[in-house]
Amino acid sequence: MIQVSGLSKTFSGSRLAVDNVSFEVQAGEVFGLLGPNGAGKTTTLRMLATLLKPSSGTAALNGFEITRQPEKVREQIGFLSGDMGLYGRLTPLEILDFFGKLNGIEATRRASRIQSLLNMLDMQSFAQVRTDKLSTGMKQKTAIARTLLNDPPVLILDEPTSGLDVPTARTIETAIVDAKKAGKSVLYSTHVMEEAEYLCDRIAVISGGKLKMTGTMEELRAATGKQRLREIFLDLLGMEE
Amino acid sequence: MRLSIVNAIYRKEMLDLIRDRRTMISMVVVPVLLIPLLLNVSTRLMSRMEENAEQEAKSMAVAVKATTPALRQALEKAQIQIVERDDLKDAVLNKTVAAGVEEIPGTPVEVEIYVDNSNRTSSAAAARVRTALDDLKDEKVRESLQNSGIPASVLTPFVVKRTNIAGARKMAGMAWGSILGYLLLLMMFTGGMYPIIDMTAGEKERKTMEALLASPASRMEIVLGKNFAAMTAILITAILTLASLTYSLKSSKMHSKTPEVEEMMRTIPLDAHTLTQIAVTLVPLAMFAASLMFAIALFARSYKEGQSYLMPLLMVVIFPALMGGLSGTQMTPALCLIPIFNASQMIRGILLGEATMANFAITTVANLAYAAIAFVIATRQFENENVLFRS
Repeated sequence: MIQVSGLSKTFSGSRLAVDNVSFEVQAGEVFGLLGPNGAGKTTTLRMLATLLKPSSGTAALNGFEITRQPEKVREQIGFLSGDMGLYGRLTPLEILDFFGKLNGIEATRRASRIQSLLNMLDMQSFAQVRTDKLSTGMKQKTAIARTLLNDPPVLILDEPTSGLDVPTARTIETAIVDAKKAGKSVLYSTHVMEEAEYLCDRIAVISGGKLKMTGTMEELRAATGKQRLREIFLDLLGMEE
Repeated sequence: MRLSIVNAIYRKEMLDLIRDRRTMISMVVVPVLLIPLLLNVSTRLMSRMEENAEQEAKSMAVAVKATTPALRQALEKAQIQIVERDDLKDAVLNKTVAAGVEEIPGTPVEVEIYVDNSNRTSSAAAARVRTALDDLKDEKVRESLQNSGIPASVLTPFVVKRTNIAGARKMAGMAWGSILGYLLLLMMFTGGMYPIIDMTAGEKERKTMEALLASPASRMEIVLGKNFAAMTAILITAILTLASLTYSLKSSKMHSKTPEVEEMMRTIPLDAHTLTQIAVTLVPLAMFAASLMFAIALFARSYKEGQSYLMPLLMVVIFPALMGGLSGTQMTPALCLIPIFNASQMIRGILLGEATMANFAITTVANLAYAAIAFVIATRQFENENVLFRS
């Protein structure tokens, strides 16, 4: 479960990137954070992943507070960004083994967990090929496997399908649906409206660092009088289509 | 602090470094291949140039303007080919003759040798002319003394002898010490530079840093693991540089004119005790270099930017490393506190067999302290989100 309360972030030069953001993500729920570029999505997710310290406010992931127990928080999360962040000179197997060690997974369990992920994501054929020689789809599968390696109760996904082709993006969508079924809390930022509409149980629209509205698709439709998420989104940003 | 996490990061960084072409070039190829090659080529080239100059000096003529026949005869006796020229200086500068000799009448008669010191052949020819003229002068003095009934022994009331008691090992230490410390320190910083940029700015550029920071590893564990890998790269460079220099100097001919110098260069004092002392001097310095370069490179956003931040540091290293190898500086406890200079000076002292335990201890402790300070700065940098996410 994710509980965010009054989270704000001011960068040097007093630029307010995130302004008093609050929301909750329950277990088994996919929560979408939608916003245009520079809205504060990445900054919010980075604070929750303990990469950035909040200027004010607080958040707890699975009961662990982000500023007081950052290492405990990181044990609870799987973090994935659109950049994937894979070591090009290492193979998927080596990357998974490395992150397994960082997560403190014991050797036998690590090997078995890696094998199960390789099978699940159909990665056996390229598991021992250097990552810089892999296709984007193969890389994305590797990144997903790394995110799911420690079987975290919380997934934080920052524009994970950004720049991907449809089949590759589909792999991510499937992983998100599976994570939801497994009872994980999934916090997911995107600006692909169709994807959010299809995957998310609840959606929050963020702009200029502020949450404009949070709710299910039905609640958003009722509040704005618009039907499609794209129209709702533009309406909340004050931009009529 | 979990050592298993530090070890995992260390092993991953080492694997990554071994597979990085740029790192392997700076860490292995340069010390193992390039240094011996440059050393060999440069010594052969210098030796060849000297030989050529000597040969040319023998074959090229010397322009002479003199009326005294004895002077010409003395030059001819020394097998120097003589020609006539109106403008001696012009002839030397135009390289039509190797040197010029002009007799200027007066009391005493002056004999002027025109030489172009920027030209090795001219210098060698002038030296031959000088020897021939000195022989003539000695002969004239002896003749005069003989005519006056004075024995020639008055010219040498006593003989001055100079004996070098340093011995070949110490002389080798002196010759070696002036360059070894400098080369080792420079290569250590160069060898560490690329791996450190790769694991800091390179990791930011390739967007792998976020995934690492989002893992359960603490910032301190990440910095320690990466620093140990950087230190290993630096020490591997130092060991390979030392081994390769020793091997190439011991195995190749130094083309020296004197067997003493050749023997001196072959007697490189690198026994187990000396090597241990050098290693103890280098380890704290490697720790210092790793943390310092890590803290600087971390500030960069890209590999290229990292290079432009660390290149000036190499310039800063060169000066104290070079100064530390110079002879004539008496090592004092205060000088032992100057980073890089102290290690270079200490290596020279170790090779000469003159390093005192007190200076050795001060140097080691000082460099350990600098390494600790640099490590704290590197860790703080790594905890600073403005540095990590600088855009």
